[in-house]
Amino acid sequence: MILRAFLSAAIALALIVQPTAADETCMSPYMAKIVGQEDYVYIWTLGLEGVGDGEDKLVTVDVNPDSETYGTVIHSISMGGRHEAHHSGLTDDRRYLWASGLDTSKIFIFDVHSDPAAPKLHRTIDDFVEKTGGVVGPHTNYALPGRMLVTGLSNNRDHGGRTGMAEYTNGGDFITSVWMPTDDNLQGAVKAGSFADGYGYDARALPRRNVLVTSSFTGWNNYMMNLGKMMGDAEAMKRFGNTVVIWDLHTRTPKKILDVPGAPLEIRCAWGSRSNYCFTTTALTSKVWLIYEDDAGEWQAKAVADIGDASKIPLPVDISISADDNHLWINTWNDGLVRLYDISDPFAPTQVMEKQIGEQVNMVSQSWDGERVYFTSSLLASWDKTTASEGNDLQYFKLYNWDGESLTPEFNLDFIELGLGAPHQMRFGAHALYGGTSAQSPSGLGTPPAH
Amino acid sequence: MAARQRSHPPALARPPRTDHYVRGTLLLLLVWAWSAAALCAPHEHKQPVVLAPGYAPLEFTAPEPGSYGLPPMGAAADGDVLDSSGNEARLHDFIGDKPTVLSFIFTTCDDVNGCPLATYVMRSVQDALQADPLTANKARLVSFSFDPLFDTPDVIDAYGSQFRAQDFDWQFLTTEGAATLDPILSAYDQWVIRDYDANGDYMGTMSHILRVFLIDESRQIRNIYSTSFLHANTVANDVRSLLIEAQKNANTAAKTSR
Repeated sequence: MILRAFLSAAIALALIVQPTAADETCMSPYMAKIVGQEDYVYIWTLGLEGVGDGEDKLVTVDVNPDSETYGTVIHSISMGGRHEAHHSGLTDDRRYLWASGLDTSKIFIFDVHSDPAAPKLHRTIDDFVEKTGGVVGPHTNYALPGRMLVTGLSNNRDHGGRTGMAEYTNGGDFITSVWMPTDDNLQGAVKAGSFADGYGYDARALPRRNVLVTSSFTGWNNYMMNLGKMMGDAEAMKRFGNTVVIWDLHTRTPKKILDVPGAPLEIRCAWGSRSNYCFTTTALTSKVWLIYEDDAGEWQAKAVADIGDASKIPLPVDISISADDNHLWINTWNDGLVRLYDISDPFAPTQVMEKQIGEQVNMVSQSWDGERVYFTSSLLASWDKTTASEGNDLQYFKLYNWDGESLTPEFNLDFIELGLGAPHQMRFGAHALYGGTSAQSPSGLGTPPAH
Repeated sequence: MAARQRSHPPALARPPRTDHYVRGTLLLLLVWAWSAAALCAPHEHKQPVVLAPGYAPLEFTAPEPGSYGLPPMGAAADGDVLDSSGNEARLHDFIGDKPTVLSFIFTTCDDVNGCPLATYVMRSVQDALQADPLTANKARLVSFSFDPLFDTPDVIDAYGSQFRAQDFDWQFLTTEGAATLDPILSAYDQWVIRDYDANGDYMGTMSHILRVFLIDESRQIRNIYSTSFLHANTVANDVRSLLIEAQKNANTAAKTSR
């Protein structure tokens, strides 16, 4: 794996063997990591009617403070329409960024290594549903060795929450797919509680324990429905995931289905070499859940903390674990707050601060050292707010500096004013990953780097 | 993990081919990793080097051979190579007739969790397969250098002799140069970053991602392993799974032909 230190960044890989490694913030342990200053943030952005060209975009922002274009949008590539741009993920070698659309089920593969400052579309996967045998709504794009794992949210039979996962080569060739276990077909898994709903959302791996953890959200019928309408539809509100599944990572077979009621979303696993646990938060019940391996080697789920006042529906969304496994950032979309929890005792997280980020806040990504914390605002096209209260930003990309006690604003880009749309997933880029030293061309095989 | 070599060591001398030598090499490797970290720690606050899981006993029971699928990931590419005797050959000469574990390495790689890990794990896979009469002659290991400038056939032969057990099919390959090597690396998505000086001259150092490939008798890639994923127990069981699959296919073909 890579290990290069240049002027602007230091890259470390194979984090699973390093005791204090975190991510920047929460990506695959199989992936190259930027442990110094990132050069760019790639923002997978939802197109909005009447905003710019209205199309989904991959937006590149220069975030290297030594650059003359620091804090500005330096590149944008439009996708020829709206696809419900949502999540994105890098391949294990970070040469390609996969970005998927929840509505059209298209996956766009961007080359981010040829020129990290200007990603270009490398390939579009437009037969995801067909290849996977009916999985709809590609969500998490997660790096495994030499391949990508793509979780789904729905299916093409009833557009409900039953779904599956697919694997592709890094280049975008389909390998295989597997459906989530259900009461109808547990696939050999143990149903530990009341639910085996077959829903999907996020995925994270603990290779040292041969464990893959998946969570569960809701199907196309709900995530494409107006939020107010859905909240008033009692039947629709029943169609949310209530499970976390523990899989055998090597064989991709489900082993145990755990009850985690209330739509468990993002999964973040601890990095400590002896830390066999992950966190998730539930959108509807507003709790922090610990998914952990007990002393007997059994995987369990336990609600370990509340997030705000559940009756006010703060709606926890993205979370980000710190390098030392001691802190967890938790965004609550509905009230626009970020909360920081002390998770040094994973069984007893305690909130230590909170801050208003905007009218709504969705994704949070932190640098390797935790000193820079980035936020974006958009959740889903049909759920996002359309107006903001006085003084609150609606659709934005923001950088804050974190000194261990407080968040200090560094810059703020208004994505409406810039004609870009609604920003969602953030991924980091750096020239050093590809042999460059700063804003210069990367090297290629057998070709000296440009100087 | 990191694979960066700052300068070439003196030419390798052919060592005696004994288990003691191999164990000694590994011990030195581990001591080096520990001591380098310890020396650095008080001054530069560097994190100690933590050895990859492949160096330790597996923390879980490897899945039972034949109990799971290894879906094909695409064709294993061909190309011009040199064997450890300097003979010109094709890479496909070394893959296709039996399950093969292929790793890309270079002999001067000094990252304990990079190429040395790959070779250590392959040595352990060799031990496991050779210990079982049912698998002893049924699989092949291939270590392929991506530093043809230094890793001449003589060098890789000397390197290989430190690890290859007698009568086991472990091949050590190199190429004549970048013109033949680069298309192979590209086809396997095994990219490297070579370092050049201000004059554009190759400095003999490089960075790369550790990848080890499992290839079946149809020359299909069936698994890819990286630093966090590479362990002899799982690799050996994957090889056994391919052998079981091949036997089942042969039995089915035999029944069909009757």
